[in-house]
Amino acid sequence: MIVETKNLSKVFGSMYALNDINFSIIEGEIHGLVGENGAGKSTLIKILTGVYSLTEGEVYVSGKKVNIKNPVESRNLGINVIHQDRHLIPSFNGIENIYLGLKYEKKANKVSVDFSAMGKRIKKVMDKYGIDVPLNKMARELSPPQQTLIEIIRAMLTDCKLLILDEPTAALTDKETIILFNIIKKLNASGTAILYITHRIDEIFSLTDRITVFRNGQLVDTVNTKDSNKDKLISLMTDNWKSSKSEVSNKTFGTTIFSVKNIATADKVVKDASFSVHRGEILGIFGLGGSGRTELLEAIYGYKRIIKGEVMFNGKQSAKLSPRNSIKNGIGLIHEDRRGHSLVITRSIKNNVVLPIIDSYVKKGIYDSKKETKDVNKKMDELNIKAVSINQKVAQLSGGNQQKVVFAKSLIFNPDVFLCDEPTQAVDVMTRSEIHDLLREKANEGKAIVFVTSDLKEMLEIADNILIIANGKTHELIPNHNIDSKKILHYCYEER
Amino acid sequence: MENLKDNKFKDIMYAYGTFFALVLIIIIFGILNPRAFLSSTNFWNITRQMAILAVIALGTTLIMCVKEFDLSIGNIASFSGVLSALLAIRGVPFFWTLIIATLISGILGLINGYIVTKFKVMSFIITLAMGRMIYGLTYWLSGGAIIFNNIPSSFKVLGTAKLGKIPYPTILMIIIAIIFYYVTKYTALGRKLYAIGGNEEASKVAGVKVEFNKTLAFAISGLMAGLAGVLLASRVGSASPTAGDAYTLNAYATIFIGITLFKEGVPNIIGTLVGVAIFTVLANGLTILQVPTFIQNILTGLIIILAVVGQKAGNKNND
Repeated sequence: MIVETKNLSKVFGSMYALNDINFSIIEGEIHGLVGENGAGKSTLIKILTGVYSLTEGEVYVSGKKVNIKNPVESRNLGINVIHQDRHLIPSFNGIENIYLGLKYEKKANKVSVDFSAMGKRIKKVMDKYGIDVPLNKMARELSPPQQTLIEIIRAMLTDCKLLILDEPTAALTDKETIILFNIIKKLNASGTAILYITHRIDEIFSLTDRITVFRNGQLVDTVNTKDSNKDKLISLMTDNWKSSKSEVSNKTFGTTIFSVKNIATADKVVKDASFSVHRGEILGIFGLGGSGRTELLEAIYGYKRIIKGEVMFNGKQSAKLSPRNSIKNGIGLIHEDRRGHSLVITRSIKNNVVLPIIDSYVKKGIYDSKKETKDVNKKMDELNIKAVSINQKVAQLSGGNQQKVVFAKSLIFNPDVFLCDEPTQAVDVMTRSEIHDLLREKANEGKAIVFVTSDLKEMLEIADNILIIANGKTHELIPNHNIDSKKILHYCYEER
Repeated sequence: MENLKDNKFKDIMYAYGTFFALVLIIIIFGILNPRAFLSSTNFWNITRQMAILAVIALGTTLIMCVKEFDLSIGNIASFSGVLSALLAIRGVPFFWTLIIATLISGILGLINGYIVTKFKVMSFIITLAMGRMIYGLTYWLSGGAIIFNNIPSSFKVLGTAKLGKIPYPTILMIIIAIIFYYVTKYTALGRKLYAIGGNEEASKVAGVKVEFNKTLAFAISGLMAGLAGVLLASRVGSASPTAGDAYTLNAYATIFIGITLFKEGVPNIIGTLVGVAIFTVLANGLTILQVPTFIQNILTGLIIILAVVGQKAGNKNND
């Protein structure tokens, strides 16, 4: 075995991100690792590459027990990882990037860097694996697959026993993917084991020898690729929940309050999205990582620029999309990135909650802090936010309470539409159910909720209707009754 | 229990250490030369010396609140001084020279802010370049010479006269400090500036007009630099195209010292004033003790480093 883990666990707070993992990679194999978002794939990689420390268990490399404390040690053990987002210095050329972190070759005088010797050594590696990429260009001039190749060369320059590829094809075209696969096969043929992580089931079957499936932090099974098939694999990946709403819901919704037609964003992540949401409805939007679900919400809120399509609010086309206008129209966004886009964590609860409507507290040039304090205290009570006072800094609150502050920040202007992106991620169970209750209550009051989550179980629990988004395009709208998680995942994996 | 007490003491030191440093400096000078240093004349003298730096630094504190830089403030002050002196020589009443020079300075700040926010470019570079241009303009206006001939005595009133024992510049500083304190603490504008500085993206999502508010901060900074320039020219009774230059770095030094006051670690009005006080008291006291200027410079630099390093170490302990 190249790498083996025994009873490996990783705990964050009180949550098991990985639970009792016994996992192994054999010499010379291509091993696929699959699982839904949050199944624990990335956590495993981060432990193997020394980014995280493990909580319990042991890791063996080539039969020897190791304690990988940092990425350099992992590299010295022969484990290299190529991340989805490439780690290159944009202004460095190929040679400089490949030698980043390695010892430079020196000329006879022991001072000057010998770039030609370095180039020669790199060329040798390139010839060996049939890699072709211009070394004299700066990284920012290279295409995404070329950048990946630079990283592969860097990995192969040292003695690489295991190469981990984390979603390497996320930004590649089909043609580029084929080129990359050929190189992976060549690397593998010369004795390097590969751990390949992807959401794309087809790739797994065309590339790997064995497949390991993770689910909710546990290793479900490791199977031989030739003994498995797509359906079997998807069943392993999901706990097969049935929708709790088994009978046809006879709920009738109110008028269409908000609709989106053929939206495309300037960054081309969202390519063609349409949907509408009614008063009283909780519309779930489900998509895998990178499907454009976050960008879609940002675009209709006016935070991300759109180049195509229209947004209708109460039957009228919204003139200019901007966060400010959205707030004015009564559209609130709960952004998935709590610390980066929702909260100013260095400021107090009060400061955060009133930020969207701060101007409304100015009466004849005087700031009405009495009304402000009253309003914020009211929201604190309503949402059961646990804090010393409204003047406590948000940074000092727990994750769940921080998320409640985010909700308070929207509720303060009483929106008609809530755009919620992963509103329950990294919050405790209690808060999670409080947030669900809150959204249901708001829907019953006649508000409309758009709910994005990558947690299928949660989606089936809360949504009235489910819209699938894959690869920047929205697909069928599925009423949430008598469906199971497998069916939904099939929709997602079908689309390419 | 012991530990808790210890931590509380540490907390207080980290929160108010900078203020205690000021007190300590005053005590040391008081002991070394009580008669000259602790006199009431010297007290008012110090406050008058503080005024120009305080006015310019308070304006720039707002820029730091939104995490930008304005390196043109010194040049704007020089420009404003020269412009107001030239206007005064041509018989414009002092009130109007003050208004015109300050307003034009505000417009220069507005241009800074417009370029920075419109084109999303680094304020450090843009204001450095604008500063160069303003310097060129000032040099052209003044012909490169110091202007002191024919300046009417009315021009010098604001910088030199007193109300009873209190110098006019001191009064001006106090009024402006109160306004700025109120604005940053108790108005929507102040809250928005701190929100932008704390997290620009979150502020945008919350519908705050980030570009507009940043531009406003630049305009105010320019306005204050212009006012400081007039005050300086009025106090010394002359205007040179480089008179205000040194204020750029000194203003930032005082703001950085000010950030170390209170645990929040953000630019704040009281902090900037304490910073200005430390700066001015040091210069005043060391001059009274007849310490050579070069040693004054070494000590001033050392104190800034100590304050900032101390704050950082304090933050680490708190986490």
